[in-house]
Amino acid sequence: MPRNHTRGARWILSAPLLVFVAVAVIYPIVYGVRTALQNRTLLDPDASWAGAANFLTTVKDSGFWHAVWFTILFTAIVTCVELVLGFCLALLVDKYFPGKKPLLSALILPIMIAPALMGVMFRLLLNENIGAVPALLHDAGIHITLFSNGAVVPLLIVLDIVQWTPFTFLLFYAGLQALPRDTYEAAAVDGAGFARTVRSVVLPMMAPVVFITGFLRAIDAFRTFDVIYVLTGGGPGDQTTTMSIYIYKLFATGNFGTASAAAVLAALIVLPLVPVVTRRAVGGTTAEAAR
Amino acid sequence: MTEAVLTTPAQTSVPAGLPPRRRSEPRRAWWKTALVTVIAILINLPMLNAIYTSFRPDGDISRAPLSLHLHLTLGHYRNLFNGGSGYDFSRYFLNSVLISLGAVVLVLVLTIPAGYAIVRLGFGGRYLLRGVTALRLVPAIFFAIPFFLLYNSLGLYDTVPSLILANTFLNLPLGLLVLAGALRDLPVEIEEAAIMDGCGVYRTLRSVVLPLLAPALVAVAVLVFLFSWSDYLFAVILSSSNATPVTVGAANFVTSTGIRWGDISAATVLSVLPPLCFAVFAQRALVSGLSAGAVKG
Repeated sequence: MPRNHTRGARWILSAPLLVFVAVAVIYPIVYGVRTALQNRTLLDPDASWAGAANFLTTVKDSGFWHAVWFTILFTAIVTCVELVLGFCLALLVDKYFPGKKPLLSALILPIMIAPALMGVMFRLLLNENIGAVPALLHDAGIHITLFSNGAVVPLLIVLDIVQWTPFTFLLFYAGLQALPRDTYEAAAVDGAGFARTVRSVVLPMMAPVVFITGFLRAIDAFRTFDVIYVLTGGGPGDQTTTMSIYIYKLFATGNFGTASAAAVLAALIVLPLVPVVTRRAVGGTTAEAAR
Repeated sequence: MTEAVLTTPAQTSVPAGLPPRRRSEPRRAWWKTALVTVIAILINLPMLNAIYTSFRPDGDISRAPLSLHLHLTLGHYRNLFNGGSGYDFSRYFLNSVLISLGAVVLVLVLTIPAGYAIVRLGFGGRYLLRGVTALRLVPAIFFAIPFFLLYNSLGLYDTVPSLILANTFLNLPLGLLVLAGALRDLPVEIEEAAIMDGCGVYRTLRSVVLPLLAPALVAVAVLVFLFSWSDYLFAVILSSSNATPVTVGAANFVTSTGIRWGDISAATVLSVLPPLCFAVFAQRALVSGLSAGAVKG
């Protein structure tokens, strides 16, 4: 396309986005960092400069490091389990079987449910007095308090797996459907069994899809807030406080300066990943992964 | 969850649009049907349980969690609309609808022209798209606090427009990436022909590119609607009562009045429905759109 012709047009066409980015992205970033350097609380809105005090407070707080550790552990476990289960499920559903189409829709349904509303539904299901799961466990002779100290972390991991395995499954399923069938058949002709075909043929070809799916799942798990907050509020104690919940609690108690400092630190933790995501994801992200 | 699910409707619809692959297979694998049915029920147990609870009388709910007594009632749904539940369901629901639709419109208005300028007119090189992609890595709560402080000083706190703006911000990277991907896949020859025929840039974008982009626009619209509807973090920080959407409403309802389980179930079931319907309805639009694009020869 002739360049001289379009030079004005590209600025005009981009203007709305640029204005919005300046107002809603760059300004909040600057404002957030500035707040992190101020003594700003709900009661004292006229902020004075605090220097690095907020950052020091955060770094010295064992609660912060507990939240960081819990978030990383949670992210690692759920991502790995969901990748494995989603892949197995995708292999199971890949080929035709009776009733496949409606079952496929049912399998991906949880993705469409708002996590906060899913949290409310989990509360119904798991409630000590009226929930079906505790009643079933009781009838089976298992006496366990689901939200007690020892059980709550595994419980939250299981719930995350229930809601998000459909997501990894969906991306893997789309990836499998896009693989060239001849390759499978050639492997079968050469006498490779199912397990061998999966290991030597399917997995290598699916590697990019696995990478992107795992990455997307991990960044979302890393900022988990809704379900855990609705279910436990971060408790008992601060046992299930993720980083997002930690920052939110500071914010909700009016400690805007410290909350912003913790948020800046949380952003710094993911900063090393930026080159990975920009190199991999520009140009269609999962659309590309599933191709 | 944010743009993670970004291409899901598109992807589910691809297999749906193709003829079933292995119909000729000699053995019909009924064992798979059985196994997958069990898995589907387990995965959807929270939803099924909420639907069942929403139709049961209060007495049954608290007395026997496991009984399959078929004493069903519509009372909980009636409570939601006549104020009997003490929960302002209609307002929260309307807020969610307004916020989600507003975000859909605003995201499309901002990303269509800019996406075209970036992909076809070489605006911003690769940096703009990369920068926008990197944004999704930053935890959302990082932005929520400055948004709150700014809205507070501007008097925008707890208003629907402020939540529309926040959700537009959250979904901008997703919209831009999906549209940029779709634009790259369009054959540039059609646009060149339009320019040859004397169309200007704007005319080409409006009359040639936009119609070809329709499936991607539907995909973006569905995804932005879904994610805006699902948002909880920004809503809980930026609203207190007037602009509260269903996610925050339901969560508050369950914490403050923890015993009205039937009413809570009914509210949750109704709150979950719009994105579900939207996604199912749009899946069909996507199938036709994508298969139309597939024969671009």
